[in-house]
Amino acid sequence: MGAAARVDYRRKSNGLVYMSVVYAVIILFAFVCLFPFYLVLLNSFQSNKVLNQEGYLLYIKAFSLDSYAYLMEGKQVYVSYGVTIFVTVVGTALATAITTMFAYVLAHKKVKYRNIMAFLTYIPMVMGTGLVGFYILVAQWLHLKDTLWALILPYLLNPFLVFVLVNFYRALPYELYESAYMDGADDILVFFRIILPVSIPGIATIILFYALTYWNDWWLAILFINHNELHPLQMMIRSLMSQINAAQYVSSGTLHVANVPSEGLKLATVCITIGPIVFLYPFVQKYFVKGLTLGSVKG
Amino acid sequence: MRAFYREISKNRSLYILALPGILFLVVFAYLPLFGHILAFEDFKMSAGLFGSKFVGFKNFEFFFGSNDWITVTFNTVFLNTLFLGIGLPFSLVLAIFINDIRLRGFKRLAQSFIFLPYFISWQVIALMVYALLNSSNGFINSVLLGAGLPVVNWYGSPGLWPSILTVVNIFKYAGYNSIIFLAALTGISEELYESARIDGASRFQQVLKITLPLMRPIFLIMLLLGIGRIFFGDFGMIYGIVGDNGVLLPTTDVIDTYSYRALRQVGNLSMSSAVVLYQSVMGVVTIVFFNWLIKKAEPDVRLF
Repeated sequence: MGAAARVDYRRKSNGLVYMSVVYAVIILFAFVCLFPFYLVLLNSFQSNKVLNQEGYLLYIKAFSLDSYAYLMEGKQVYVSYGVTIFVTVVGTALATAITTMFAYVLAHKKVKYRNIMAFLTYIPMVMGTGLVGFYILVAQWLHLKDTLWALILPYLLNPFLVFVLVNFYRALPYELYESAYMDGADDILVFFRIILPVSIPGIATIILFYALTYWNDWWLAILFINHNELHPLQMMIRSLMSQINAAQYVSSGTLHVANVPSEGLKLATVCITIGPIVFLYPFVQKYFVKGLTLGSVKG
Repeated sequence: MRAFYREISKNRSLYILALPGILFLVVFAYLPLFGHILAFEDFKMSAGLFGSKFVGFKNFEFFFGSNDWITVTFNTVFLNTLFLGIGLPFSLVLAIFINDIRLRGFKRLAQSFIFLPYFISWQVIALMVYALLNSSNGFINSVLLGAGLPVVNWYGSPGLWPSILTVVNIFKYAGYNSIIFLAALTGISEELYESARIDGASRFQQVLKITLPLMRPIFLIMLLLGIGRIFFGDFGMIYGIVGDNGVLLPTTDVIDTYSYRALRQVGNLSMSSAVVLYQSVMGVVTIVFFNWLIKKAEPDVRLF
C-alpha cells in the first residue's frame, strides 16, 4: 500500500514536471511566432519621426496614420492590390477547375493509364524542371513577359494538391459511381452531378492552398514583370525595401517628395498585404489542416 | 498501339476531363527540360535554342573552374542540413507537446499561432527580419543598446546567417510540419499509453518508449523528402531576406540564387543552365541513392 502510494506520488510529480515543460515550450514558441506580427502591426501606426530616431518600439509613442495616408494617396497600392486580387481570383478559379478534373481521372478505377499519369505528375515535383528552360518557355516561346498570364499560368497544377484530391476521391464509396452508371450516365455528367457536390470539403482545401500560393507569390513577378503597373503586392513590398525613391514609386510621380514616411510605408504595405490572410485565417485554418492530413497519407 | 486507341476511345469523356491537366504538364513541366540543352551551347537569343553554337562542356568548365561551385554547393547542402536536422526534430517535439495538452481551448489557440507564419510570404518575413535586425533602427539592437550590451551589425556579419536562417526557417515551417506529425500522433492508440501507465511509466518514459518509436516511419519519410531536395535551396527565403547583399553571399549564396543571378543579372543563360543541370543531376542521384539506402535499412518505409 505504501509502495503503491509512493509510485503514484512519483508519477504525479513526474507528470507535473513534464507538463510544465510542455506548456513552457508551447507558450514560448507561440510567442516567437506572434511577436514579429505584433512588432510590424504596432509600428505601422508609429510616427515616422519615432521610427527613425528611436527605432521599432513595443508600444505606440506617437500615434500616426501618416504611413497609411501617404500609401493611400499614391496610385501604386491600388494598382498592386488590383493585380494581386485579379491574379488570385482568376488563377485560383482556373487551377481549381483543372486540378479537380485531372485528379478525378487519376483516381478513377476505369482509367487504364491512371498510374502512368500519376507517375508523370510526380516526377517534376521531385526533380524540378530547370530554371532556364522555364524562363525561356514563358518569356520567349509563350511571349508572356510583362503580362498577368505569366503570374497565373505556371501555377495552374500543383502535383501535391493533385494527390491530396486523389486521396480524397479514392475515399468516396464506389456505390456512388455504380448507381449513376446503372442509369447510363456519361462520365462527365457523373463527375459534375455526383462527384463534385460530395467533394466540396476536399475542393475547399485546394482552393485555399491555391489562393494562398497566388496571393503570396513574387517569384514569378521577379522573373517576368518589369513594369510597376503590373507589380503584385508582394513585389510592392520588395520594391519599397530596395527602392531609394519610395515617393516616386508609391505615387507614380504625382505626390510631394518631402517628408516621405519611407520606413512606415513598408510596414503599412505589409499590414494591408497580410490583412486579408490574418482576418480569414481563423475561419479557413481547419481546411489547411485537413489538406495536410490527407496529403501525408500518400496513396 | 491498338490497345491505346481502344482505351482512349472507351474512356473518351474521362480523358477529356484530364486534358487541361495533361496539357499543363506537357507545357510547364516537360517542355522546359529542353532548356538543359543550353548548358552545352553558347546561347544567343537571336539564334534561339536550336540555332546556337554547340560548345560541349565549356560552360561547365567555367562553373567548376572557379571556387563558386564549392561555395554554393556547400551552402545549399549545409543550410538544408541545418533546416532538416534542427527543424524536423523541433517540429516533432512541438507536435508531441501539443498533442499532450488537455486544455482544448489553449491547444487550439496555440496551434493556430504556431501555424500562422506558414501563411505569409517570404517577402513579408523579410521585412520582419529587417525590423528586428537592421542596424539603424532594428528592434534587437535597440534592446541590446538598452541593456548596455554591444550592438551587432547583423547584415554585415556573414557568419551569423546560417543560424539566423535556421531560426527563420523554423519560424515559418515548424507549425506546418508539426501538423503533419500531429496527424500521425492522433493515430496512436490510447490503450498503449494506458497499459504503460498501469506499469508505472512516467510521461517522459511514455514519450521515449511509445511515441518516438511509433513516429519513426513518418519522421523518416519527412526526412527523406527533405533530403531528396537537399541540393535545392529555398530561393524565396534566401533571395527574399538576403537579396543582393554581397557581404552575406559567402554563407548564404545557394545554387538557386546563383543560377538566378547568372540568368537575370549577368544574363548568361548558358552558364545558368549548366548550373541548373548540375543541380538536377545531383538531385536525381541523391533521391535514387537515399531511396535505395532506406529500402535496405527500413523495409517498411518507402518514398516511391
